[in-house]
Amino acid sequence: MVSVKEDNNVKNILIKSGKIVDPIKRTESVSDIYIKNGIISEIREKIDITGDNIVVINADGYTVSPGFVDMHAHLREPGFEDEETIESGTLAAIKGGITSVACMPNTSPAIDNQSAVRYILEKSKNMACNVFPVAAMTAGCKGINITEIGLLAEAGAIAFSDDGNSVKDSKLMYEIMRYSRQFGIPLILHEEDSSISKSGLVHEGHYSTILGLEGISSLSDDLMIARDIILAARSKARIHITHLSTKNSVKMIKRAKEEGVNITCDVTPHHLFFNDSCLTTFNTSFKVKPPIRSEEDRMALIEGIKGGVIDAIASDHAPHLDTEKNTTFKLASFGTIGLETLFSAAFTKLCIEEKISLPVLINLISASPAAILGIDAGKIEAGKVASITIIDTGAEEVIKKESFISKSKNSAFIGQKLKGKIVCTVSKGKLAYRDKCIKERSIS
Amino acid sequence: MLRKKSIIDTGSLSLEDIDLIFANADSFLEVSERDVKKVPALRGKTIVNLFFEPSTRTRTSFEIAAKRLSADIINFSSSTSSVKKGESVIDTLKTILSMKVDLIVMRHSDSGAVKMAEQFVNVPVINAGDGKHQHPTQALLDLYTIKKIFNKLEGLKVAIIGDFINSRVAKSDIDLFERMGIDVTVVSPAMLLPEDFSRMKVKHSIDDVIEESDIIYVLRMQFERQNRKFYPSIMEYNRFLSLNKDRLLRMKPGSIVMHPGPVNRGIEITDEVMDISGEPGERITIEQQVTNGVAIRMAVLYLILS
Ligand SMILES: [Zn+2]
Ligand SMILES: [Zn+2]
Repeated sequence: MVSVKEDNNVKNILIKSGKIVDPIKRTESVSDIYIKNGIISEIREKIDITGDNIVVINADGYTVSPGFVDMHAHLREPGFEDEETIESGTLAAIKGGITSVACMPNTSPAIDNQSAVRYILEKSKNMACNVFPVAAMTAGCKGINITEIGLLAEAGAIAFSDDGNSVKDSKLMYEIMRYSRQFGIPLILHEEDSSISKSGLVHEGHYSTILGLEGISSLSDDLMIARDIILAARSKARIHITHLSTKNSVKMIKRAKEEGVNITCDVTPHHLFFNDSCLTTFNTSFKVKPPIRSEEDRMALIEGIKGGVIDAIASDHAPHLDTEKNTTFKLASFGTIGLETLFSAAFTKLCIEEKISLPVLINLISASPAAILGIDAGKIEAGKVASITIIDTGAEEVIKKESFISKSKNSAFIGQKLKGKIVCTVSKGKLAYRDKCIKERSIS
Repeated sequence: MLRKKSIIDTGSLSLEDIDLIFANADSFLEVSERDVKKVPALRGKTIVNLFFEPSTRTRTSFEIAAKRLSADIINFSSSTSSVKKGESVIDTLKTILSMKVDLIVMRHSDSGAVKMAEQFVNVPVINAGDGKHQHPTQALLDLYTIKKIFNKLEGLKVAIIGDFINSRVAKSDIDLFERMGIDVTVVSPAMLLPEDFSRMKVKHSIDDVIEESDIIYVLRMQFERQNRKFYPSIMEYNRFLSLNKDRLLRMKPGSIVMHPGPVNRGIEITDEVMDISGEPGERITIEQQVTNGVAIRMAVLYLILS
């Protein structure tokens, strides 16, 4: 296990000569950043400060980005602490350059009441990474009774979701939309028509047919997205469709945006990275929901990013024990971890392979999801608490199971050669993570 | 004379009708203050209280009104009638008509049932509440109460708070209030507000209106059936919509609290408010509404039957 705990006594940090990315202006420029008592005090071409209690990080040749915002992760606490805890999950996030993470409510018990929200906030208070609880829209995420959306928002829920399920009852979904609009809070929607997906395991197509694995038709996502776009258009609710997987969903959301529906969406790195040909090895790490779909779908998602339809990239970090994955495809749990590979997987596919510019990618994992969630993050700005991620875009490594610090190791990216590596993370104003290589280049 | 003999909804009452009803109510209010609370105005007339839906307050109010006018009144409610055994509304009406009655006061849980009855019978019918449709005499007594307290109607600010999907009182009140130039704001969570109401001034929290309103009109909130599914909890209701002591004390001087009764204590109005004494307690006009209700119903019965 890699230790990511840093010395908390360091008060001041000087980041020298890094290439700073502004995700909103889409620019890159070399400057120094001085962080004093956790607050960014200066961003200037050349800052020379020496003294006690300063760590100088030589970021020459590295990219300096706002700390990443992952708007969809499962930290599994409370209830599934064997898979992940707030502590282990936030450490994994920090290693992945993520300084703000929104955690999903399908825990046990579910985050569907004020004390559960307060529990998450209390537990994460002293963690290195900011944690923002997403609360359930319906009690126990069961799709039957609406939760206390007003009270939950006051307790600190930043969004509402029944992730893992869609609310089947259209009238209930509509009333949830109308009600959430009152509080100006987004709904994060997992789109799955269970009458289509049923007990399906993988994308229904060529590979599900030849492999004999029960399929989940893309209709499952598409029907629910179509319904929810219609409901959102009428209710004027703020909706966010998470983990897009199909070609049609991109098309429908593009049109909805053109028509003024208050809708945003995200995609996961694994849906951008793989297509269903990965299934031929029956590797259960690829069993995810929604399923990894066809190459045509994957390309449509990439086009969705290029065309600006897709607003964010989120990990859908879903930790599972080896025992839940080392079994048959039918019996294995759905999900892949993704906090630690969020950047490198997306960078490899989008920037290296598809030639999408780095500021565009960084926007999708920082300023843009921060804006969707309405949180103050995703910017490097004087006067703000420092959340900064330093990236070595030239690094390349083959992902190994042992290198994960998440409590669960079920990564779809094991064995993949990924480019771009997080070498340092400053979070909540503190030096939270340094890779070996940057430690050697730092002066205390 | 009223323009129409029956009163099915507030919309069929003209402004002259309302003035006439109020003028008569004034004198009947005086009757109710007397030692002998009875006038012989409707001696020999027979009125039926035909209640297909349980009600104590409204039924009793009509009963007292009829008795003070010396009319004979028969209570015919579903629990004591054969309606439960499946006899239709029409069959019940036929039976009642054959008893040669002069006026029917009717309540039913189905919207439109009273209108249907009115078309079937040849005597005047007063709607004492039909489904989610209308409750015109409640609106009349509400308006009358406001007028007696403020001595004017135009320009007053009323906020009606609660469930507008299931409330017939709200619909009748809104119609009369708006026609009288009262400034109406509806305060309700989205799921308890018909989409059609977006044409009105809408707020979602009682805190948005509590300080500026002359009248806080609190509707009954019943946590049953579909409300349970769509509205989260009493706790959430208390946080955003209930009238509690803190809110009562924030109301402006001279402002009042109204409620159609019976109050669900702890839900739309807290116990603390219901039991409060002194000046803040005087803002709560629920008892005046009940007293005025008898006078209004006397006026209506008198104007129809005399
Ligand atoms: Zn999901
Ligand atoms: Zn998820």
